[in-house]
Parts: sequence; structure tokens; C-alpha cells
Amino acid sequence: MKNTKNGEIWHYLKSVKASLVIITISGIVYNIGMTAGPWFEGKLAQCLYNIIGGIQDFQDMLQLALIYVAVIFIVQAMRYVKRLYVRKFANHINRDMKADLYHSMICKSKGELEQESIGSLMTKTIADVDACVEGIRKFTTEIFDTGVVMIAYLVMLFRYDWRLTILSMLFPPIAYAMANKLKKTVAQGAKEYKESAALLHATTYDRISNALTYRIYGQESMREHMYEACLTDYEIKAVRANIWENVMQPIYLVVSMAGCLCILWFGGKNVLGQGWTQWDIAAFVTYLACFTKLASKSSKAAKLFHAVQKASVSWKRIQPFLTAESMTKAESQTKHVEQMPQQKTLIVNDVSFHYAGRANLFSNVSFLAKQGEIIGITGPVACGKTTLGKLFLGELPYEGNIYLPGNVTYMGHESELISASIAENILLGDIGNAWEALSWVDMDAEVKRLPNQIHTRIGNGGITLSGGQQARIALARTLWHRKEVLILDDPFSAVDMQTEQKIFAALQKLTKNNIVLLLSHRLSLFPQMSQVLWMENGSVTVSDHKTLIKENPEYASLYRIQTQGTQDDKGGGSNEA
Amino acid sequence: MRHSAVMQAVKETISDHRKLSMLLIVTVISSIVAGLIPPLVLEWIINALTGRRELSLPAIILYFVLFSLSGILDARKESLITVFGQKVTHHIRSMMCRKLKSLPADYYTKQDTGTTVSRFVGDVDTVETLFTSGIIGMAADICRIFSILAIVFVKSPGLGILMLFVLPLLYLLTRFFQKRMLAAQMDHRQAIGRVNHHIPDTIHSIRMLHNLNKEQYMEKRYDTYIQDGFRAINRSNFCDAIYSPIIITVSTVLVAVMMILSARGGWLMTFFGMSVGTAVAVMSYVGKIFEPLESIGMEIQNIQSAAAGIQRIHAFLSETEEAIFPEASDSPSADAPAIRLQNVHFGYETDKEILQGLTLTVLPGEHITLIGRTGAGKSTVFKLLLGLYEPWDGTVEIYGQNAGCIEPSQKRKLFGYVEQTFHAVSGSILDQITLNDSTISMEQVQKALHTVDLWHTIQGFSEGLDTPYQDALFSQGQIQLLSIARAIVSDPQILLLDEITANLDSDMEQKIWKALQQASRNRTMLSISHRLYAYNGGKCITIT
Repeated sequence: MKNTKNGEIWHYLKSVKASLVIITISGIVYNIGMTAGPWFEGKLAQCLYNIIGGIQDFQDMLQLALIYVAVIFIVQAMRYVKRLYVRKFANHINRDMKADLYHSMICKSKGELEQESIGSLMTKTIADVDACVEGIRKFTTEIFDTGVVMIAYLVMLFRYDWRLTILSMLFPPIAYAMANKLKKTVAQGAKEYKESAALLHATTYDRISNALTYRIYGQESMREHMYEACLTDYEIKAVRANIWENVMQPIYLVVSMAGCLCILWFGGKNVLGQGWTQWDIAAFVTYLACFTKLASKSSKAAKLFHAVQKASVSWKRIQPFLTAESMTKAESQTKHVEQMPQQKTLIVNDVSFHYAGRANLFSNVSFLAKQGEIIGITGPVACGKTTLGKLFLGELPYEGNIYLPGNVTYMGHESELISASIAENILLGDIGNAWEALSWVDMDAEVKRLPNQIHTRIGNGGITLSGGQQARIALARTLWHRKEVLILDDPFSAVDMQTEQKIFAALQKLTKNNIVLLLSHRLSLFPQMSQVLWMENGSVTVSDHKTLIKENPEYASLYRIQTQGTQDDKGGGSNEA
Repeated sequence: MRHSAVMQAVKETISDHRKLSMLLIVTVISSIVAGLIPPLVLEWIINALTGRRELSLPAIILYFVLFSLSGILDARKESLITVFGQKVTHHIRSMMCRKLKSLPADYYTKQDTGTTVSRFVGDVDTVETLFTSGIIGMAADICRIFSILAIVFVKSPGLGILMLFVLPLLYLLTRFFQKRMLAAQMDHRQAIGRVNHHIPDTIHSIRMLHNLNKEQYMEKRYDTYIQDGFRAINRSNFCDAIYSPIIITVSTVLVAVMMILSARGGWLMTFFGMSVGTAVAVMSYVGKIFEPLESIGMEIQNIQSAAAGIQRIHAFLSETEEAIFPEASDSPSADAPAIRLQNVHFGYETDKEILQGLTLTVLPGEHITLIGRTGAGKSTVFKLLLGLYEPWDGTVEIYGQNAGCIEPSQKRKLFGYVEQTFHAVSGSILDQITLNDSTISMEQVQKALHTVDLWHTIQGFSEGLDTPYQDALFSQGQIQLLSIARAIVSDPQILLLDEITANLDSDMEQKIWKALQQASRNRTMLSISHRLYAYNGGKCITIT
């Protein structure tokens, strides 16, 4: 991937060098060519005047008009090239920045992402990329469309009559100074509007997502009042921001255009031969048209600075994410867990674990698992079985040793699905037959009934599926990618008992060459386990179902409670919130 | 759009703000007129100069004033439209918010929050643009085109005829480009939508992705999404870049043709009505007529998208409302059992009955735990008690009063509900407990927080109770404690407890257990146990 140079904006600009060259050339040609419009308009009027006066004839007009069309055509073609390449160039930077951001994000571990709430920050940063690139684009556009073109116009005006130009150019700076003075107020108005909009959005979301909570507590009318207050605030701020932004623009223009009073007065004298220089009609028309365009440009000059400011604010927020050292996955995963591929057994030797600053969650866990074994791990709530499972991922530091006969595939409580099709969720880019994996989790018939079958998209995090379906697709994905050791944390919690039995049978067949640790609080499958680990109060009993039933009253009573009403249990229960 | 709620909102806004509406119409008309005049003055000035007459100062000032006026009126028009549009959208949003109160609980469980929020935000925004740059803008632009055409016809009939031929063609061209751009933008938005989903997806699934070594796969997916967006934007860029140059080139050609033809002299010159002044004025009009043409295309777009938005708003506002419960005829009585369900039948869908004749009585001060398999209807009992649903058959009573008829203001005094998952509201920590209920005093909050032993934790935060609430501030167990504080802060008679299923460490479990014992003292408590390890103590009732 790209190196650490990503932290500089030049890195992105360099990659679009060619576009920048094209933009510069076409931009300069176009903007200088912009002066051709007023110049030709003046010449055309003059030519008509001369024809009426009998000085020129039709041929001259024809020639002039054709040249006019040709020149404008070329200028506009240049404009097209410039516009297209400015947009392409911005688009390019946008894409590259986002790809780099994503890369730096995906290298972070779950802990990192959760701790620093990088998740939500990241989402905001992506929006910042758009803002930053939009700023760069506007800046590039304005450099030419305001900067270069103003200079070109100014040079032209000076050539016609430098005294008149100095006089009439007194006014645009006044407009500019006004704009600068009001800049803060305008920005403040826009900021308040945005804040109010964000507040309204948050309040709307809160009102709707917590509607039932408010209803239960009888607070709906109260919320309605608050919402109304937000609406009123939003209305005021929106109107104010809009007025500051839109009303001032024409006033700046009017101030700038005050210069045209001088032009009409002194320019008129020039034409009549009583002024500083001798003008014809063409000069008068061109000068006036040129000045009008210049005035309207200068009333927009503030935009240039605004664009730069906006872009730099966004860039500052993006930068840390591009430069941040991302720790590589390989380091984090093998820190504590030793892989011993030459042997075929999993050895857990005297492992203890405690969260920082707390007592041991469990101590001195030792057991040994052979290829083809399925080991059940259970115990009361909060006994630490989930934590024990996570130790194999190497995310947490522990005492003792774990020796693995290879790699670990882990399935946690969350189904961790992505918004893609069912097949994509299972295969994750592998080539193969996802139907096979679906049949392992007894879901093929269900999927066949879906309109797009295996290609049905399942929404964000699998939202269009029931909890049981999500869990089974997650299990299918885990089984498809199974490695030497499989850790399954409560894979059947959202599945009814019959399905559980079917899936378990498939699991047994599939994992003849693997070692499976099945963490669960549902014990109906435990009679079929090779070993059973009972965790309670920090100690772990390594045994099997038959022995535990005899020797461990807690395990025995639990097993009895759970297996009593199995016939009624249809599971799923989507209406249980 | 006929009879739609949005039309009603517009009508009401107009009648509520008659002056504003009148002013708006006057301003729109005067801004159109003012925009037409300056070129006419310019024509007069040029003609004066070609006639070698000196320009009088008043004429010069008049030109400047008229020019300024048209700019100022334009700005005024824009602001008035904004004000009016804001009034209308305010009205619509208020209507929609009032609607929320009367929607049945079912709506909220079935509709995804984001969808409803987008009715309030995105769809109402389309109505806003309908006003700012839709209907009113379009009316103004059409007027402007016709008045310019009229003037051009008077000044130069020949050019007028030329324009009549060119304008429709250019309009079609405009629409063609706009449609293509819209299609490209839709593709782009779709790609952006995917990108936006992809990020949270990655964050949620990061452990799995690392574990299965799928980082590259996800990067590749992300790249495809960005690439799709990139290509769509490039398509739209092409249209965007070429449109305006085409328009300017065409107007250049028009001017050239006009000048060439009038230069032929004779009848053609009269036909084009050319004095030098007219030529200059007409050139300025030609430039002006293409602006509204471009706007009209955009406005049609806005009107189209607003039409879809209006339809969705209308659909939302006509959602079936909750059946109005009969007025509470019986006031709560102290003699009646705290909770009584008699022969209750209920299900969420008509063909799936969950409660089949449930009867249950809880006397004041009793502590009862409901147990039973998942899906048996334990949580459903709570929803009936809270008045969120009406039973199909049978009665649900709280202190002898029908659960569905309890006044909102009475609810908090009757029961506190500890939800399985805490629903944080937006605002401070204090707001989490009071839910912005101003009738709750600080002493009550303090007492509740002491009961659940969170007072000192919260005092440790920089702003104490006023600290903005974030999930990260509290552990899962503490959030559960906060939920209990919310339930008991108004000292309710009944406590409904839906046990959490999350794994807690044993210290925290002890703490919650203690808090619940404190909270349930001197109260009726009905709890749901989702665990296979029921708390001992109290009576258990199995729901099957």
C-alpha cells in the first residue's frame, strides 16, 4: 500500500499532475478569452454604426460576425475542457483519499475501534473528505474564474482609458471591504443554521426512535412542545442564514456598479470627443460590458477565500487518520497464542485470566482436545465462558499457555454480517457453492423461497433477516472458513431445538479433522459432546456429561430444567422485544 | 397532489400569513419588471451617443438606480420566498409531529426509525425546495422569458422569430442534459449509500474480518463502491461541463446571425429593427433569456422530486391511527388488585395468537416473576399493561382501571418500567432520568440515584448530572442501574422489570440485585426472567 507520505496533501495533488497542467492551460486561455465577448460586442455595434454611416459594408460585418462565433467557440471549448478536468481532478482526489482512509481503518483492532469511538469519527471523516475535495475544487475553479479573469479584464480596461479605470475601480474594493467585514456575520449565521438543523434532526430522531419510551412514561406531549421549539428555532435560523447569504450579494454588486456612473459620464464624453481619450462606440460598449462583468466577479471574490478556509478545516480533521500508525494484524494475533502446527492437539495449560485491576475471572484452566472432538463449555451467566473463548483470538493477555495445532476460526455473539447478498456473506469473496454451506445450517429450503434466493441482499447488518436467520448465516460463514480450531460462542441461541439438533449433526460430520469448542448455556446437546467444561466461581471442572450429571448437582438441575418442556419450544419468538 | 395534506398546509399558511403572501406576489412581479428595464435605458443611452448628443446626469443616475433596483428586488424576492417556504415546512413538520402521538405502538415496532425520520427530514426538504426554487421560481422564470420575448419582438421582430425557433430546441437540449445528469447522480447516490453502509459494516464485523483474514476482500468491495461513484460522477461531470458552453455558443451564433442579417440593410434591417442602441440592448437580452431557460429545467426536476416527497408525506399523515380508547369512566381505586388480567387473548398478527386466555392477579405489594420459554408472551403481558396494545378479548386492569385508558399524566405515578435494553434519549444524564419531565424535582432525582448507588459515579463527571449522555460513560451494568433510576424516580406504585440478558460480571450483578431490592421495597413488582437461573424469592408464574 501507499507509504507514510499520505499525510500530505501534495501527495494527492501529485497523482493528478497531468490534470492540473491541462486545467492551468485551458483555464488561462479561457479566462483571457472571456474578454473577447465584450470586445466583439463593441466591435459589432461599431460596425453596424459604420454601415449605417456608409463607412463599412456587409462584407465587413459578415467577416466580423464569423470571427466572433469562431473565437467564442474556441473559448467555450476551452471552458469545457477546464470544467471537465477540474471535476475529474477533484473526483480523483476524493477516491484516493477515501481508499486510504478505509485502509487505515480496517487495520485497526476491535478494541481500538470501540475505545476511541473511531467508528463514528470515521464516518464523519468520510464526509470531511467530500467537504475538503469540494473546497479544493472550488478553489481551483475560483483561482481561474475569479483571479485570472479579473486581471485580464483589468488589463483591458486600463488599455482603453487608464484615468477612467482608476476612477471607476474605486468602487469594487469598497464592496469587497464590506463583504470582508460582514464575512463573520454571514459565517456565524450559516453556522447557527447548521447547528439548528443538526439539533432538529437529532430531536426528530429522538422523538421517533424513543416514541414508545415516551408513550410509556406519558411524555409525548412534552416532547411535542420541545419539537415545536426546535422547529421555530430552525425556521428563524434558516431565514436569517439565507438572508445574510443572498441579500448581501446584490448589494455588493450595486456598490461595485457605482463605478458605472463614472463610465457613463466620462465615457460618454470620450465618445463625443470631449474626454481624456478618443473613443468610438465599440470602445464604449466594450468598456461598459467589461466593467459590468468585473463588478459581478469582484462581488464574488470573497468566495475564493471562503473555499480555502473550508477545505483547510476539513483537511486538518482528515490528516490524523491518514498518518496514524496502524498496527498490523499479524502482530496482534500471535502475541500470546502459540501455534504448533506439527501437533494435532489443542493444549490449554494452567491458564488464568483477570481484567485489569480485578480478581481472577477464572484460574488454572487446563485441558487437552484432540482432532475431531467437540467440547462443550458452560456455566452460570457471567462465569467467563465468552472471555475464555476470546483468549484464543489473542486479544486479551492471560497467564499460562495455549498451544494451537494451527489457526482459529471464531464466531462470537454478534453475527457480524455485512450489507451484501447471502452468498457474499458466506463466501466473502471465496469461490464456491454457498448452497452447500446453507444446507449445513438447515437454511437452504428457506433461502430457496426468497425471491432472489441466494443473491438476496440482507441489508445493513442483516436487518432484513430474523435473529435466527442471521445467526445461521454467520454460522454457515464460520463453517465455510473453518480452520484447525473452531470457537463457537452460543451459535444456537436463536435457533429452535430441532434445528439445533440438525445443525449439530452436520457440524459433527464437517469437523472430523477439526477441534470445536462450543460455548453455550443451552445444554440439550451436551450429552453428545466429547468433553464438557463446567465453569463456576472462577474454577473450571473438566469432565463429561455423564459424570457431571452424577457429580455436579447444579449442572444436573440445569440440564433437567432445560430439557423438560422441549416439545413446546418452537424457538425464534420474533415478537419478544 | 389534490386534497393532499401538503396542499392543506400551504392553504393554512397563506391564510395565516396573508400580508406575507401578498407581499411575495407583488415582489415577484416587480422583480420581473425591474429586470427588464435597464437594457432599455442602455439602448436609449447608446442611441443618444450615436446621435452625438451629450448624456444628461439624471439619465445616467436613472440607469444606475434601475440597475440597482432590479438587483435589490431580486434579493428581496429570494428572501421572501425563503420565509414563505420555511413557514410552510414548519407547518408540515408540526402536523407530522402531532401525528406521531396518535400512531399505534405497532407502527413503531414495524417501521424502521430511519424511514420515518426521512419523511420528516428529506421529504419535507423537497417541499422546501419546491417553494424556494420550484413553483414560484418557475412561474417567475416563465414570466421573464415571455416578457423578454415580447420586448425582443417589439425591438427586433426578426430576432424574435429566430428565438421562437431556437428556444424550444434549447429547452429540449436542457432537459436532455438534466435527465442524464439526474440519472448519473442517482447512481452516485446509490454508490454513496453503499459506501455509507460499508463503513459501519466494517466496524461491526472487524473481529470476524481480522479472524477470517478478509481485510483485502473488504477493501476490494469498498474500492468497487467508490469506483462506481467515481464513474457516475464522471458521467455527470461531462454533462455539467459541456452544457453551459453549448448555451453560450448558441447565443453567440444568434447574435452573429442577427448582426449579419441586419447588416444586409434594406427591409431586413427594418425587420431586425436595428439601430446601434437596439443592437446593444438586444445582445444583453439574448444573454438574459437563457438563464431562466436553464432554471426552468432545474425547477421541473425539483417539482418532480417534490411530488414524490409530497406523496410520501401524505401517506405518512394518513397512516391508520390508534383506535381511540373510551374515556376512563372508572378512576383507580385502592381496593382493587394492583394488576388484573382476566381471560386475555392477544397476538400481534391476526393468525398468531400468543396469549390464549391468560388470567393473572397481582395484589398490592406482591413481588411476582414471570418465567417461560422465549416467545411465550412474557414481554407481551408488559406491553398490554403499559397500554401499548389493546387485548383482543378480556380485560387488563391496573388498580381497577382499564390499562388502555390511563391518562398520560398519571402513567409515571402508576408504574415504572425497567426495559430490557435501555433507550437513551438525547440530552444530559439528568434527562435520561427525568425524560424532561418538569414535574420531577431534583430531590426525587437525587433519591433515585442514591437508591441505585450511581450518585457518586455521576458526581465524578465534569458536569455532574448535566454531562451530555453517551453510552461510553457507563458500563452495561451501570446503564441498567440508570434504567432503574428512571423507573423509580417518580415513586410509582408498580415496578415492571424486564431483566437484561447481557452478560455482566458477578460484582455488577450483585449491585443490580441490591438496587432492585431497594427499588422494589414497598412496591408491587412484576418481573420477567429471561434466564434459566431465576432469582430466588417472590412467587413465580409460568407463562406458556
